[in-house]
Amino acid sequence: MNGAIKITNTIRCDVLIIGAGGAGLRCAAEILEKRPGTKVIALTKVSHPQKSHTSTAQGGLAAVDPNDSVDRAIFHMFDTWKGSDCMADQNVVKKISEGSWEQIIWLENRGMHFSRSSDGKLGKRTFGGHTVNFGEASAFRAVFEADRTGKGITDTGWGETMKRGISFMNQSVATELLFRNKQCVGSVVFNQKQGELIRIFAKATVFASGGCGQVFKVTTNCRQNTGDGLALVLRAGFPVMDPEAVQFHPTGIVGPGILASETLRSVGGILRNKEEGAFMEKYAPKMKELAPRDMVARAIEIEVREGRGIMNPDHKIEHVWIDLRHLPDAIHEKEIPEVAGFFKKYVNLDTKKDLCPVRPSMHYHMGGIPTNEFGEVQNMTQEVIPGLFAVGECAAASFHGFNRLGTNSILELITMGKFAGERVLEYMAEHSDTGLEAGAEKSIPQFSSYMEATGKESIGTLREDLRNTMTQKVGVFRTEGGISEAIETIKEIKERANRTALSVKALTMNQELVNRWELDNLLDLSLVIAQAALNRRESRGAHFREDYPERLDEFNDHTLIAMPEFGAVEQAGRPVDMSVYEAKREHYEQFGLIQRKY
Amino acid sequence: MKTEFDITLKIHRYDPGASRSWVQAYHLKAGRIIRFVDLFRKINEEQDPSLAWNSSCEHGQCGTCAVRVNGKPLLACELLVENAVESFGKTTFEIQPLDIAPVVRDLVVDLEKAYDRVDRVKPYIIRPAKPPEPGEAYPISTSELDRYVNATRCINCFCCASACISSHKGFLGPNAMLASIVRMMDPREEEKKERMEILYSDNGVYRCHSSQACSFVCPKEIDVAHFIALAKEGKFSGDQSG
Repeated sequence: MNGAIKITNTIRCDVLIIGAGGAGLRCAAEILEKRPGTKVIALTKVSHPQKSHTSTAQGGLAAVDPNDSVDRAIFHMFDTWKGSDCMADQNVVKKISEGSWEQIIWLENRGMHFSRSSDGKLGKRTFGGHTVNFGEASAFRAVFEADRTGKGITDTGWGETMKRGISFMNQSVATELLFRNKQCVGSVVFNQKQGELIRIFAKATVFASGGCGQVFKVTTNCRQNTGDGLALVLRAGFPVMDPEAVQFHPTGIVGPGILASETLRSVGGILRNKEEGAFMEKYAPKMKELAPRDMVARAIEIEVREGRGIMNPDHKIEHVWIDLRHLPDAIHEKEIPEVAGFFKKYVNLDTKKDLCPVRPSMHYHMGGIPTNEFGEVQNMTQEVIPGLFAVGECAAASFHGFNRLGTNSILELITMGKFAGERVLEYMAEHSDTGLEAGAEKSIPQFSSYMEATGKESIGTLREDLRNTMTQKVGVFRTEGGISEAIETIKEIKERANRTALSVKALTMNQELVNRWELDNLLDLSLVIAQAALNRRESRGAHFREDYPERLDEFNDHTLIAMPEFGAVEQAGRPVDMSVYEAKREHYEQFGLIQRKY
Repeated sequence: MKTEFDITLKIHRYDPGASRSWVQAYHLKAGRIIRFVDLFRKINEEQDPSLAWNSSCEHGQCGTCAVRVNGKPLLACELLVENAVESFGKTTFEIQPLDIAPVVRDLVVDLEKAYDRVDRVKPYIIRPAKPPEPGEAYPISTSELDRYVNATRCINCFCCASACISSHKGFLGPNAMLASIVRMMDPREEEKKERMEILYSDNGVYRCHSSQACSFVCPKEIDVAHFIALAKEGKFSGDQSG
């Protein structure tokens, strides 16, 4: 269709889920299993739920098997708390850890193809940071489906919800939340395929819209992970929590950003700079390549910053090398075949003969839409916003605090998805009326302004400028000067973004229009990430301030930051829940303000 | 080593508003390890923001970016410029959308329509077997799982359906067959009868002409034809001889 932007249709449903990855699907399945016949609509930005970012998760799902003779939920809780650098909420950590195994069984009984041990039971493996007896020994805690655990979750969630009558709306994005009497009653949605703005009224609305990796130049995230959900919440006048908590994996493959797993370093891979000098001994004389993720990431960034990086001529990204050439063939073939395969497939290099290019890659956003342990979204003063829920990477309950452990992310999807589903059902029982009318839709002037804009700026160039700025100045290293410069640049890009004329004037599958909308989302999110990083004058977890390298007790609160208008930032704090410590039960002392030292 | 290539992409375009189809040539300079998804992005950024194409994970895990390059269905995120030049022996590439569903715009096809065929085989457990005890996992031996685990790796990129010589005439397609065969071989599925009715229906496995094109093009290197052959012979469980 051509012409003026208008709302072309209004749909009513019981539950609107924005996003159909692991968290959204698990939430939908809970609702449809417990209350058959509920009208659930799930939007997905990608062309089908199976294409969601969840499907790319490889390693596994942390969950303590109650029949395990060694492992206990309290050990998992401790590891998560320690990993979070004392910023996870203990009520959430307890609820998820204790509820985890039930969700593994839920998935298995519904057909997920978990890898098995020789006795036919679920296989388990170890993962970094997961221990028994409070750090004493590695825990066999991760169940997995080979190297495609996330795909198993997506496929199972998709199948189960389809079986129970969900309606998917593919290639559709929520553009604006609708409210009536301070209660969320649905959303305006842009359906890309039809090129239509529609209004969906729902008794409950659940954000499960995923992460924001595209804020940075090198990322392991999908192309669609542009933080749309967070931007929508900001535009509705509500806060996001801990946006500055961004995890970088030290070794992403240049240029697609795919993870080159830690295994490369544990089998003896050596990081080398431009002069091919091994540099890790300078930064971690004893641990060298085996130092923790954040330390390795910082070492690589210093090498690049001080001119010892190598510019990849094709992807225009500076990097260092990982050298695996000295390792015996058996290691290449038996221990790292997958990653070796990635290097071959995506950069055409042979790990046996060639130096391979790596650079820290944005991997996970710990921050997100603030919720309680039931997935209910909170406002600036921590009151629940009726009718609005958030789960998965777009949400912060917070299970991960300022640093996430491997295998904890997809666990969060399925547990919080279920908990939020339960809460949605309770909410629906208490609130029977659906929204009838909502205020004027801001999406109409917003999308009209995109269509009508004139000027010579390019959306693609602005997006790249933004991603480079965020990587250089609000990435692995942060300083007051650098972040302040980034904030100025973000504001300039926002101005320039008003001068981007669209070449396609039709609305059907108008990718350029969606890119323009995404650019605004990336800009909003970049600004709150930078602002929160500026205000947190300490280093904690994945947030590293070169000018304030220590963790400080005065910053023990979560950041809540709102931005009702671009540039107009308001900030507050939310206390970290320490209920496990305060309950003074067995091992409570492990849940105080402990150091994150390994 | 050659470090830069002069590439021509002849892209099959479609504008739904004007119902107009045409082929547009784009000339690009590209480094050796630039992937075809990067080329599409480069066209958007430097030459023509109107070109519509699809991708998501861009590392071979989701199958969204499948297109036909000089007739061969493949994932654009997995095709590097230097490998393309070597394997096709030329620097001009004809890019077409997959022919498995109507085109929405340019290289974007209506995947929902393509997925209708997968949905018809019910890609889930219709009637789950009970685990030994409530709250327990159903035991599956590694040898039993090994028989069908490769079939579970399918990402529904529809490359096989595009390559299949019979999937355009009523056949639900190799990937849809695979989704059903997985649950025929999965000991947790008790509803085998309904599954067999679908598999052996007019749209089922006997539509397959055994060309093995599916196995040849599968980006995940799944031997799809092997599983379809098992289904034709009814060899779903390990204890059947012959």
